[in-house]
Amino acid sequence: MDEITEGTSQVDCDILVIGGGTAGPMAAYKAKKKNPDAKVILLEKANVKRSGAISMGMDGLNNAVIPGHSTPEQYVKEITVANDGIVDQAAVLKYAENCYEIIQELDNFGIRFQKDENGDFDVKKVHHIGTYVLPMPNGDTVKKALYRQLKRARLLISNRYMATRLLTGKDGRIAGAIAVNTRNAEFLVVRAKAVILCMGAAGRLGLPTSGYLYGTYENAANSGDGYAMAYHAGAGLANLECFQINPLIKDYNGPACAYVAGPFGGYTANNEGMRFIECDYWSGQMMQEFYNELQSGKGPVFLKLNHLADETISEIETILHEVERPTRGRFQVNRHNDYRHGMIEMHISEIGFCSGHSASGVYVDDNACTTVPGLYAAGDMASVPHNYMLGAFTNGAVAGEHAVDFVNEVDFADIDEDFIAAEKKRVLAPTLRDDGIPPNQIEYKTRRLVNDYLQPPKVTRKMQLAQDRFAETREAMENEMAVTNAHELMRSLEVASIMDCADMAAFASLFRTESRWGLYHNRADYPERDNENWFCHSILSKDDAGQMTIRKKEVDPYVIPIDEDEKDAYDKQRIKAQA
Amino acid sequence: MSAFEPFEQFDEVEDIVDRLDDPDPGTRRVAVMDLADSADPSAVTYLKKALGDEAREVRLQVALALAEFDGPETADALVVAVVDEDAGVAQAAADSMAELKDPAAADPILPFVTHESAFVRAASLRALRELKRTESLKPALDAFSDEDATVRSEAISVVGYLKTEDALPALMSMLKDVEPAVRRTAAGALGFSVTTAAAEALAQSLTDSDWQVREIAAETLCKVQSTVAAPALRAALTDEYWQVRQKSIRSLGKLGVAEAVPEIIPSLDHDISNLRKEAAAALGEIEAPEAVPALEAHLDDPDPDVRKNIRWALGRIRSE
Amino acid sequence: MPLAQQSSSVPVVVDDDKCIADKGCTVCVDVCPLDVLRISDQTGKAFMKYDECWYCMPCEADCPTGAVSVHIPFLLR
Ligand SMILES: Cc1cc2nc3c(=O)[nH]c(=O)nc-3n(C[C@H](O)[C@H](O)[C@H](O)COP(=O)(O)OP(=O)(O)OC[C@H]3O[C@@H](n4cnc5c(N)ncnc54)[C@H](O)[C@@H]3O)c2cc1C
Ligand code: SF4
Ligand code: SF4
Repeated sequence: MDEITEGTSQVDCDILVIGGGTAGPMAAYKAKKKNPDAKVILLEKANVKRSGAISMGMDGLNNAVIPGHSTPEQYVKEITVANDGIVDQAAVLKYAENCYEIIQELDNFGIRFQKDENGDFDVKKVHHIGTYVLPMPNGDTVKKALYRQLKRARLLISNRYMATRLLTGKDGRIAGAIAVNTRNAEFLVVRAKAVILCMGAAGRLGLPTSGYLYGTYENAANSGDGYAMAYHAGAGLANLECFQINPLIKDYNGPACAYVAGPFGGYTANNEGMRFIECDYWSGQMMQEFYNELQSGKGPVFLKLNHLADETISEIETILHEVERPTRGRFQVNRHNDYRHGMIEMHISEIGFCSGHSASGVYVDDNACTTVPGLYAAGDMASVPHNYMLGAFTNGAVAGEHAVDFVNEVDFADIDEDFIAAEKKRVLAPTLRDDGIPPNQIEYKTRRLVNDYLQPPKVTRKMQLAQDRFAETREAMENEMAVTNAHELMRSLEVASIMDCADMAAFASLFRTESRWGLYHNRADYPERDNENWFCHSILSKDDAGQMTIRKKEVDPYVIPIDEDEKDAYDKQRIKAQA
Repeated sequence: MSAFEPFEQFDEVEDIVDRLDDPDPGTRRVAVMDLADSADPSAVTYLKKALGDEAREVRLQVALALAEFDGPETADALVVAVVDEDAGVAQAAADSMAELKDPAAADPILPFVTHESAFVRAASLRALRELKRTESLKPALDAFSDEDATVRSEAISVVGYLKTEDALPALMSMLKDVEPAVRRTAAGALGFSVTTAAAEALAQSLTDSDWQVREIAAETLCKVQSTVAAPALRAALTDEYWQVRQKSIRSLGKLGVAEAVPEIIPSLDHDISNLRKEAAAALGEIEAPEAVPALEAHLDDPDPDVRKNIRWALGRIRSE
Repeated sequence: MPLAQQSSSVPVVVDDDKCIADKGCTVCVDVCPLDVLRISDQTGKAFMKYDECWYCMPCEADCPTGAVSVHIPFLLR
């Protein structure tokens, strides 16, 4: 079982999509629909049937821009302000304009959105200004419905292959990828004219407070491989210092979730049972307020439902305990918690990279193109901010449709056999050691160090210390890590991605010498926002000498201008009560 | 380079069907699962045949498997499963039937709307809802007088999805149903109409004995966009349930009912912050200058959401 | 450096009497995003081989016979 076997196969295709969670299936499907003759491969580390963040469905769409409820312009403004202005609006606008069509298409696939008694989408108002939340109380079958479409389209699906590195041609163009089978360690080399990265968030970066490596907010299969692969292929990564940190049920480490309870009248409260969040849209500012309350005498923070009617609470319970993270109900039973009586203790998540909830991702333009020709990215790992599930679907579609045209224009880039040989050597190194340190110990240590030194508030000296500790741990990983089977080999490769992400997190955070995005980049020794010097993206990449480097990039001129008083509209609302 | 193809194999249906005759029910069940996985529409015929299997678990698996397919043939098989003697099989079939998307799937289902079992009638109507076929209107309306409440509710949804004004009188009559759940569905289903008749009917429901009916009626009234219900909504501001008051305030705000301002203002002092929040928003929507002193007096509400709405409301009123 | 073997109580339990892996079912093993379930060579039934679980539940939801139970891992229970 899980024995390591030697072997390599090679396949060619027009488009290789890596990651079959949310964005990936849509990218592959749309490419194939647009050109049924194109050879499209969807490669997945787990099994597309139930992989990714949405494996058991979602509580709802957090950011649906549906005519009659909100407009694309309004949405773009909202995201721009929530992101402290550091947004290339073109991509956000494109998402906002396309997402309604995608909702309708998903509805046709049989994905179940909440509808009113007239069959219209039952959009709920949660935010102060726009109306964007569309619940999915019966959305647990979302992956089934998607998978059905992929099967009907006869897409080529490779399950249980973990991609480890991208291949680039001499001209710097994308050439394909290398993957390893997670059950027998055989290699798969895929030559492709275009590659679309959809590998989700870097969710195993920080360590959850429980200490359980897999008790993460994100689907624990999302170990940041996409970020690491894009980095090693020379792509630029944007604003990695804008960490993802989310509110969640303490210890359970899954969302509570404000977007479910909100429309029913539930909310996040302090120990006095009072609302305390001033900020409107989900943002780093909101997380800062959450953090402050946690640290204050009014902490910790709770989910409050006990003021609602019994009937309403039952309805919320059904949603929270049947979709998205259905073990929530079991957790509460173990704790003897009942939403009707007490409040539910909440906390903040470990840190990670994720554009879905924040803004840290592989840099992409409004066609989902990265800085490497022929390489695309979509979903949580691509830089379009606050994108969530619908963003993954919509931008996955954008990537697939663009890539299918792109591959008409190009031939395969040549692949570098030496690089492939070196990569195989890197991958197999831990299998050649008879004994050594197992991946789980190296992972635990790295992530523990991430918590100790990188969690905001960020301190310069601590982050420098982190870099030293990471370097030592990396040395152990490169020279002493040992594995006994193919499954552990997968874990060892994940550790390498986690290590790369940890290095990038420290490097990017040290670069931006200001505080921005609330808690996400709260630098204790640079507490102020500095628009004069830092109203820009940071773009991290690997230089020709193989060293990590980072530069500023201007924010593209706004397509939807934001008036001074509109920026203010949010700040004004945050004014504290005088009492 | 090897000829190895590292892709999911979708088994050919012919290779699976032999196993449907295996003496072992477990093996037959796995064969059914493989048929579902094949995504090949030709599997439906075999699945239908397997509904005759003597083992309940095999039939159950078939009922589940049919959710992977669509169209009239699938519906044709599901109506067999939905009348299965085993309740679990029938329930799975009912759930699979509700997944159908192809309007043509309605044809085999329509005759079952009058089936002798209430469960089957409800399941059929539930499936017909999403298919939105005009042929469903008549049988659904007939089912408004069904003895079973679930059937009546499902029938109302079918009619509600079709959004035809012709059905308004029938829908309105269901606001008087004996079952609260039915009345709730009916109140929601009237949301498509912009007629005064619908508004008047919903206004009456604001005094329904069930608070959730009152809540839905109050909520739906803002969609119906008619102010004839304004007096009833104002009266609902003294409802014993804050939830009903909250929805009424929201609708009064959206409908811009200026007369309601003095009655909304007291809600700025209620214990439940959700109600204070709604009151502030509605006063802003109505842009009522006479609300300014009350709003200003609550600028320091302990709840930030209330403060936000008060500031927003004051900004709106003052910019006039 | 020699390796120690440590015990760990796993969160996912399979009821051998209900499991039909011996009839060819591999559903739970197929759907697990962390790939931590296997069919035992000895018993012919599914079991949790690696304690690396996201307590996400596809294994339980998709098992045709109701043989799988997902519990919250002890460390966060
Ligand atoms: C608990 C939770 C709750 C959420 N709730 C909501 C909500 O209510 N509403 C909402 O709109 N959004 C919500 N989100 C966000 C939303 O789910 C994500 O933004 C979206 O699903 C991301 O899609 P993705 O395709 O980028 O990533 P995923 O769907 O996670 O897919 C990534 C895929 O890549 C695969 N993969 C990873 N590494 C490799 C590799 N090396 N090789 C091959 N494959 C690989 C993974 O196995 C996975 O299948 C939630 C997220 C979480 C985690
Ligand atoms: S899904 Fe259920 S029946 Fe199938 S192998 Fe797993 S435990 Fe056994
Ligand atoms: S709960 Fe999720 S991670 Fe755990 S065994 Fe089941 S499918 Fe795998």
